[in-house]
Amino acid sequence: IQDSYNTSIESCSNSTCRHDYCVLGAGPAGLQIGYFLSHSQRDYIILERNSGPGSFFNIYPRHRKLISINKIYTGRQNREFNLRHDWNSLLSHKPDLLFQRVSTQLYPDADDLPRYLSLFAKELDLKVQYGVDIGKIWASEDGDHGGRSYTLIDQHGLEYSCRVLLVATGLWVPEEVKFFGSELVEGYESIPVDPEEYQDQAVLILGKGNSAFETAQSILGRASRIHLYSPNPVRLAWQTHYVGDLRAVNNELLDTYQLKSLDGLVEGGLEEIAIVKYSPEKKASGKEKKGDRKDRKGRGQLYLTLADLLQENNGNGSSGITAATLPGYHNDNFSLRQPYDRVIRCLGFRFNFSIFDSSARPPCSSMARGRFPGVTAWYEGKRTPGLFVLGAAAHSRDYRTSAGGFIHGFRYMIRSVHRVLEHRYHGKTWPATKLQTTQLLSWLLKRVNEASGPYQMFGMLADVILLRGSYCEYLEEFPIQALAQLTNLSGHQVTEQGLLVLIMQYGLNRTDTLGPGRAESEWTRAWKSNFLHPVLYYYSRLPTEQDMKYRPVGWPLPRPKAIHHIIEDFLTEWDGPISHSQPLRRFLEHCLQTDLRAFYAESCFLFSLTYTEPPLFCRLGYLKKQGIVGKSKQWQPSQEEGVMADDDESRTSQEENSLPEYLSEAEPFVTSGMN
Amino acid sequence: MAWYVCLVLSLGLHLKPCTTVNASKLKELTRESFLRIMQSEKTSFVYFGNHVTPTIGLFLEQLEKSANALDDYGILVAKVNCSEIPVPKYCTKELVMKKAYLFRGSELMKSFVTDTVFDVSAIVAHVLFTVLFNELRIVQTPEELWSIEKNVKGKTDIVLTQIVTLGLPEHRAVMEAAFVYGAKYQFVLTAGGSVIKYLGVEDSSSPQSRLWFLHCKEVLQQSDPCPYTVMRRALTTLNIYTFLQLMEAPLVTEASAGPSEVKLPYSHLHAPLLFLFSQADTLALDRMTAETLAWRLRGELVVVLICRDSLDAKTSLEYNAAYRLPGEGSEIKYFTLKSTEEAVDLFREKIVQEEEEEDDYNDWTVLGDAVSMALLQSFKEVANTLEGVPNTLLTSVDCGEWADLCGSEMVSSFPTIRTYRRWEPPQTYRGMLGAEALHRYISRCHVLLPVILFSEDEVWSFLKEDIYHRYTSLSPGTVLGLLSSVQDPGRFMFEEAARVLRGETTLGLFVDHQAEKWAKNYGVQLPALFVCRGLDVPMETYSLHLSSTKELVADIQRALHGSFPELTVETLPLYLDIKKPLLLLFMGDDEKINKDQGVLENKDVRADLHSLIGTKQLESYKLCWIHLGRTPVGRAVLQSYLGYVPQLPALVLSHLGSGIEVFLYPPEALLMSDTVLQWLDRIERQEEQPTGFILDKNWGPPVSFYNFLSIMDQQLPGYAAQRTPESKKRGMEAEHRDKQSGHTEQGARDIKHWPKQPSSPHQHYEL
Repeated sequence: IQDSYNTSIESCSNSTCRHDYCVLGAGPAGLQIGYFLSHSQRDYIILERNSGPGSFFNIYPRHRKLISINKIYTGRQNREFNLRHDWNSLLSHKPDLLFQRVSTQLYPDADDLPRYLSLFAKELDLKVQYGVDIGKIWASEDGDHGGRSYTLIDQHGLEYSCRVLLVATGLWVPEEVKFFGSELVEGYESIPVDPEEYQDQAVLILGKGNSAFETAQSILGRASRIHLYSPNPVRLAWQTHYVGDLRAVNNELLDTYQLKSLDGLVEGGLEEIAIVKYSPEKKASGKEKKGDRKDRKGRGQLYLTLADLLQENNGNGSSGITAATLPGYHNDNFSLRQPYDRVIRCLGFRFNFSIFDSSARPPCSSMARGRFPGVTAWYEGKRTPGLFVLGAAAHSRDYRTSAGGFIHGFRYMIRSVHRVLEHRYHGKTWPATKLQTTQLLSWLLKRVNEASGPYQMFGMLADVILLRGSYCEYLEEFPIQALAQLTNLSGHQVTEQGLLVLIMQYGLNRTDTLGPGRAESEWTRAWKSNFLHPVLYYYSRLPTEQDMKYRPVGWPLPRPKAIHHIIEDFLTEWDGPISHSQPLRRFLEHCLQTDLRAFYAESCFLFSLTYTEPPLFCRLGYLKKQGIVGKSKQWQPSQEEGVMADDDESRTSQEENSLPEYLSEAEPFVTSGMN
Repeated sequence: MAWYVCLVLSLGLHLKPCTTVNASKLKELTRESFLRIMQSEKTSFVYFGNHVTPTIGLFLEQLEKSANALDDYGILVAKVNCSEIPVPKYCTKELVMKKAYLFRGSELMKSFVTDTVFDVSAIVAHVLFTVLFNELRIVQTPEELWSIEKNVKGKTDIVLTQIVTLGLPEHRAVMEAAFVYGAKYQFVLTAGGSVIKYLGVEDSSSPQSRLWFLHCKEVLQQSDPCPYTVMRRALTTLNIYTFLQLMEAPLVTEASAGPSEVKLPYSHLHAPLLFLFSQADTLALDRMTAETLAWRLRGELVVVLICRDSLDAKTSLEYNAAYRLPGEGSEIKYFTLKSTEEAVDLFREKIVQEEEEEDDYNDWTVLGDAVSMALLQSFKEVANTLEGVPNTLLTSVDCGEWADLCGSEMVSSFPTIRTYRRWEPPQTYRGMLGAEALHRYISRCHVLLPVILFSEDEVWSFLKEDIYHRYTSLSPGTVLGLLSSVQDPGRFMFEEAARVLRGETTLGLFVDHQAEKWAKNYGVQLPALFVCRGLDVPMETYSLHLSSTKELVADIQRALHGSFPELTVETLPLYLDIKKPLLLLFMGDDEKINKDQGVLENKDVRADLHSLIGTKQLESYKLCWIHLGRTPVGRAVLQSYLGYVPQLPALVLSHLGSGIEVFLYPPEALLMSDTVLQWLDRIERQEEQPTGFILDKNWGPPVSFYNFLSIMDQQLPGYAAQRTPESKKRGMEAEHRDKQSGHTEQGARDIKHWPKQPSSPHQHYEL
């Protein structure tokens, strides 16, 4: 810390520190972008108001169990693959800087996260300045560079001025809903976590997300009755595939509800309700009901009612709560007619917009009731050029669809944003691998079988393959909502050969998640796959913003020229020759309009002598003196129904040559050649 | 499973220097910092680039590592982003820039292609080599070495090293030592040859890097030779350091404390200690024994003579010696020494043991797909036939599983075959992927570099030796490259070519004046290529134009196959490269044909056609023959050309590459050289009708496309359709409605739990 402080002092003068990049917040997202900036040797500083990284996790989740998977045994050695099942680690070049160093628990303790983040910052020597509490941020047009710059001011009046501001402040402001009596409600952020405090209490929880269920689960054995109330029914993560929905780790209450053990879920609007304190004995205001007898010892005085009922019964001005103001008075079987000892709000968190001056404030996103700032597809604040939002706060782009709000998703998104920054500010084109077209199939399968970025950020990050004839450029993990801006953002041109996009997608999800027929197995029905599976889109030109805007309902991308779904796989191992590899090759052959089959050297010999040009595989291998010499000199096509011929060279017949068969491919052309 | 473990262990060793580094010293230069360096006197090694391919990315990683290493020598390592600072001359227009430059101030000392400085060792080695170039002496003959010895006798000792291949860790280690000890010792380098013979190396067939210490400082008589000590351990920085320290140490150290207490100034060295116990009455004799032993094992260990009289009774009398191997916590082991030979053997064994495990090499394939699986089959066959061959281990790596390993080994296409040998950079196999070719390659891959030959005698003995060996191999000839000097840049190309051609042929490199003279006798210009097919056959000579290794390899291969080559599956690509129409002689199985009366024997036809080589008419064609017995697919070629297989032998002219016509020499006419020439004339004058055609085919998709989009459109109309601005609006409204109706539906579903909006209090009936 001392070191980084000193270096940052160098860039400071007259109570202003200048950096190319300011990162606001040293949580997982801040450290992740910090790592990429550090690795590319950029001038950056991470500003953190607390004394250590990841302080959110010092408080949350309140009941201290992370629900992000830390699966350390996968049976595989492939580190990239293993990251698919490691939801807490950040990305770095250090192979052992993984979360499993601090915890081996599948659902680790929340304290382990700040510990891991400290380790990460320390081992990578990230420049973090702790104890810097930024109170105000504004933007100004910078005369010198003709660009914009952001100025941040801390609690001591010290200013930080940066060309690029990376906001990774997370979501800290508890979401609240205003209604009559909302001051009687306790917040998730401050409730007691000792279950004993809930002994024999009736508890109403507002919200049906993970924090609501986590709270319910912790008091399940102590509270007398727990009701969860919110507008929408529970969305189960295992049904929706969205990890922000209710995870099975927290859902014990579903059991006690469905087995009728005093707990329950109720749907209803939050704005329409009111919470009132009412004691029938004191307010001897009329009809005593049977149910009121349960209301013992002066406890349980909080009643849920409707704002409308209050209004109607109180007229104007009067404030008396009477039985008639309670719904149970009108509907004697009203679900929530019994009083509660506590009402707890577990409605999640929102972005803190307050520190941004209007010149630097990104607008509210229309998603998630405006809890997030609105950002472009490359995470730059809408209307705030040079200000990017990263991490949980950047979830508006894939809220309720993908993993951009969670470490295992945004770590990849941040890498992509960093590539955008490197291109925009440093002229570095998006890293690309140049591949021979004959290698494309195996590269695609390799990515499909190991890549973690597109797997976690399904529907959001995709590999883009720029076709160039005999070779192609392979770009990894491009933010696909920005596809129309590919050239601008990556520095790569799309030629008339077109492009392929490889993306992971869940399916139509129109079947019962656990019911029969939930999975497809026939490759021709791959487009009906329900589970996560790879999909390839082929475009002959880059889609425009218009194309993107009017894409088919529920699709991540516009209608392509051709599409290929690789059939879902129970083991997520897409390497079957017949179900995965051959259909994919068939698709690629169609897009590239070329024969991608592999041939033995002997076939290449024949084709090279008898055709003006042999097939691509021979051109790129055999003619470069690297032909594949088979064990037997014969190569026999397999002409099965629905299966493409001669893909699987290992099926080569062991018999000695029988030339007519060998020539079955070429013979028809021989005759035509004669005529 | 065992394969996997072995492989990883040995690769682990190989990769060790590449693991993580601390804060990087690799600077990306700004315009200002670049200018500042150019104006300073500082030595800098700079890569200019703009486009990072995976290969360049890996190079940059290595560069970054070298930055830390070279920082120790005051050399700055940096990169310049050409898209930001387009430095003229160095920022070229190439898509991928593959050169790094060494500057002293603004003066360019040397440029390197990134393939040469492929890893951190190569970078450090080459950079230090260039920086130290003037201080190092390079010798090729014993005479040159003697003249250096003469100058330094009584003044300085000499460190002589033989470096077989530049850029390897051993080269780096020597250069680092030269940097540190350059002022203290005279460093001399040699590539091998007669110099090392003079130093007692008999077997120079398997060149290996070595280091000698020539004790010239203690030689006072000019006529006395400098005694020398061979360093017997691998050339690593630590070993060289230890060795040089030991050279400074007295031959025998005497002590009066027990082995565990004795304090030695060399105890920090990574060298074993040998303790010999003596008594007052035998001290003089023991001292002599100790000195003899110390001479024998000089540079390998420290000999300590301990006088037993001063020790307590702890040291048992039954032993007269003890040793301790280097390494923390290693114990003192007592033993009885019977002869100096025994002691030598004991130590050589101990030391060898330590390093033995690294001695294997691996052939390494990388798996990916069906092609890989096919290759793996061949690879397994080779592995089976090579089982039991010492020091050869064939393994495969599944890159699907060991992705990081493959990534760090820069494997980006599958399958890949690599050879890993100790002290050599890994080498990618670029030949035919079949069992036969692989077997040839692997079993002959100990023949590595071109043997450098300095005299005609050496040339003949090389050819004789190789011809003898060739009986066991399939190579059609021995190849001799001729260069005017050993420093000729062509040497590198020949070295590379020798690597690529490993298993196909042996390459000798004849250099210097002698070579020039020799070539003149044969009437060829240097650089030249000689092919020797036997000592009784005249050598074939070719003048070369050295442009690239790839072309040199093809030139050598073509030269090996002669001017009238047999076309096989393996050789065809060589001749397609020439892009001339092919004049193909198809020949059947010899025996079968001999049964037919009146048919010329294959050999006669070939001999007759061979006489056409060199005639003007044949210059525009490439004459080849195909043996249908060895290359049965040739029959299919005839089928395709003509629609049938004509009587053999058959001569066919195929205008491959320039046209589509195929002409068959009239089957009824005799195949004679002059009639063939007439026939070719008629074809040129367009008086002959083509007999067949080369097929023109656009290799499009071989199977029909399975169109998911049309199936979607059919089964779920609208599902895959782009929205229109109108439909989008409607869609949004619909979505909105859906949401609302969904909302009420949810309410309805839970109707028991939620009251209908109480319209009035009077609805409460129960009393």
